[in-house]
Amino acid sequence: MLLNVKNDIREIDRVFTCIKEFCSTNGISEKKCFDILMIIDELATNIISYAFDDGQEHTFTVMVEKEKDMVHVRLSDAGIPFDPLNRIEPDTDASLESRKVGGLGIFFAKQLSQFISYERVGNKNQLDILVSLKEEE
Amino acid sequence: MEITVKKDSGITVVCPNGRIDTSTAKNFEEGIMKLIPDNQQIIISFSDTSYISSAGLRVILVAGKKIASMNGQLALADMSDKIYEVFKMSGFDKILKIYPTFEDAKSSFGK
Repeated sequence: MLLNVKNDIREIDRVFTCIKEFCSTNGISEKKCFDILMIIDELATNIISYAFDDGQEHTFTVMVEKEKDMVHVRLSDAGIPFDPLNRIEPDTDASLESRKVGGLGIFFAKQLSQFISYERVGNKNQLDILVSLKEEE
Repeated sequence: MEITVKKDSGITVVCPNGRIDTSTAKNFEEGIMKLIPDNQQIIISFSDTSYISSAGLRVILVAGKKIASMNGQLALADMSDKIYEVFKMSGFDKILKIYPTFEDAKSSFGK
């Protein structure tokens, strides 16, 4: 499935609907679907918020494919070069007072995926993510 | 997403309904932050919440800090397994009070 998504936060709603449909068509459990939705939501939100700084409308793509016991997600945008995986991870042991608010989205995407990589391909940022469909106990 | 607010034994109960993501987090933040000056004993019940992203956690962290600074109490309850997993993954289970049920959260107040 290939979705063309505009850099508008209201698009997230449509992305949710399409991904849920993809999961149900492919017999993916609700729990795994939650993980896939979260990974795509966090990464797509990042693209919508930061990839384009000219105030114009842009479109990026979200591809989702089922491959045996994996789901392959690819996000591709022609925004400013940015490797989101290169960020400092949040300190999940910090106290309430000192806990910082940023960096969690990428951290979640990493935690929930089996594999995640960033590559600048031509003028595009490309993120490839593999999510295992095996249910952990 | 809609937020229902009710009072139970002097405690303010906030129920976010639906998805808390980037597109709804601002609404959630405004809803909860405007309650805090007058309500410092708050339970957030997630019984009708289907999803929470980092944007939603950010709001809860900001609210938690604000309530703590006013010597108030914040408790979270009624999370689905997946939502609890998100709180655990972020380490928020170590800095916020999370109870299995609303009744458990309620009985923790005043202690």
